[in-house]
Amino acid sequence: MQINEKVSALDGVYQSMYIGILIILAIMLFACLIRAVRGPRIADRIVAVNMMGTMVMVMIAVLSLLLKEGFLIDICLIYALVSFLAVTVISKVYIGVYTEKQHHIQAGTKRKGEESNGNS
Amino acid sequence: MEILEWVRLLVGGALLLSGLLIFLIELYGIFHLKYVLNRMHAAAMGDTLGISFSLIGLMIFSGLNFVTLKMMLIVIFLWFASPVSSHMLARLEVSTNEDLKKHCQVYEELSRLEKDLKEEKIKEEGGEEE
Amino acid sequence: MSRLKPQKEYEKTGAFHFFRWLSGSKDPYVGEIEMQPQKEAEIQETTILERMKESEMVRDKVYDVENNKVLKLFHKVYVVAAILFCVVLVGLLLYTVSYLPRIGNSANPDNNIVSERYIEQGLQETGALNIVSGMILTYRAFDTFGETNVLFIATCCVMILLMVDDVILKKQRIRNDRRFEPKNDGILQGTVFVLCPIIFIFGIYIILNGHLSPGGGFSGGAIIGAGLMLYTSAYGFEKTQRFFDEHIYKIAKITALCMYGIIGSYFYITGANGIENHIPLGTPGHILSSGIILPINICVGLEVACTMYAFYALFRRGGL
Repeated sequence: MQINEKVSALDGVYQSMYIGILIILAIMLFACLIRAVRGPRIADRIVAVNMMGTMVMVMIAVLSLLLKEGFLIDICLIYALVSFLAVTVISKVYIGVYTEKQHHIQAGTKRKGEESNGNS
Repeated sequence: MEILEWVRLLVGGALLLSGLLIFLIELYGIFHLKYVLNRMHAAAMGDTLGISFSLIGLMIFSGLNFVTLKMMLIVIFLWFASPVSSHMLARLEVSTNEDLKKHCQVYEELSRLEKDLKEEKIKEEGGEEE
Repeated sequence: MSRLKPQKEYEKTGAFHFFRWLSGSKDPYVGEIEMQPQKEAEIQETTILERMKESEMVRDKVYDVENNKVLKLFHKVYVVAAILFCVVLVGLLLYTVSYLPRIGNSANPDNNIVSERYIEQGLQETGALNIVSGMILTYRAFDTFGETNVLFIATCCVMILLMVDDVILKKQRIRNDRRFEPKNDGILQGTVFVLCPIIFIFGIYIILNGHLSPGGGFSGGAIIGAGLMLYTSAYGFEKTQRFFDEHIYKIAKITALCMYGIIGSYFYITGANGIENHIPLGTPGHILSSGIILPINICVGLEVACTMYAFYALFRRGGL
């Protein structure tokens, strides 16, 4: 009986610790969200979202131990993969779009300058 | 055996809490620093060190089984992936920010070299298009 | 074709004219009417910029943007209203969640005969350790077939709308193939070189273990598609086309759908008519077990991977 009680005490400590960590992580997530909303540049927002992804990964890992469901770790792995993919693709696409716009504007101003020189 | 269990709880808990502490430092950095390239420095710390500490703590809790192996895989994957994503983000920032000189030192020669390379590339592609 | 007459004499006969008229290969206007090829309308970038500027000027004058107080007030109220709307929506959803029945209560509406049957006899009847995949791929295989068809039709529609025709593609290939994007990023390429095989193997593991552990065709296919996208974003479309081009895409997708149809229809027909089907269930827990679930999982995985990659490629450059 004594051994059982001690083991259950250990389990209680584990559970309360997991729940406390989950609450702390949730508060941190809110702080990250504030940065993502306020961030002046696009890179700011992506950095904040990436950070949120890391914290959510820790949350899922804690949950998998709290609920004793091993398969949640698979989801964690997929989450890491998807956040990496998202950051790479978004940054590449955004650089492409921005430089294309810049190129068009430069071409427009160049042509205008040539025309005005010819007229004068 | 009971003492060993308690030791395990203490060691794992200490590692987990230190991971959380690193996340906290990361959050402080992300609000304290003024520019993206500096903030990225703080954010990368949590991506590598914070998650590895907290997951090593969870590994110690869960003992030797398949879950531990998968957690190890997550940490290794993030060590591979997170520096690369920070690199891509830094590249995004440098190539889209026009007044970069306000925030950090820019080497003139390097940027000139890059411009020349870009023009050459565009010329080559234009030739191919025609 | 062997003819008695040589070609020149044959062209003078009436039969030649008749067959030419019948097949429609003679254009009646060529040689009869004088024509000039039409010039394509050219719109220069400067004119576009001028038009944009003019429309902006008109907007400025009509609404008086700098001094309009109503507009400024509207922008402020808009931000506040957006935040309020989000907070109210979250609160409403959480309030609804609090009214949901507790998990595990015996009086819940989801505790009925169907779920009992699935849980009690699912392992015997399907041979799958994972009840969910046993449910969606045997009891409800017809639904899943519909879902797979939806994926197929969705990609077909996107292809009809966004696929660039071949002639134009040759003109604009370089422009569409990430002309202004950073090319050949060495760091990204090195990382993807290491990570991509691991991602593919992980996806294949999830597909093949669909009946033993959580996962299955949909999630495994999504992972393989994500790996393909990662490879493409690092190395470019030309290198991806060495092992995954339009031809292979067509073969993979149509074969997967047809295989699912054949296996599924055998299963439905035998099940509906009460005939004993000859697919062995195997011992539960082994990789080669649980009847039709493993091949159907592979088909669904192929379908989903192709769909993911096709969406990405079509939206990026209008072609696979």
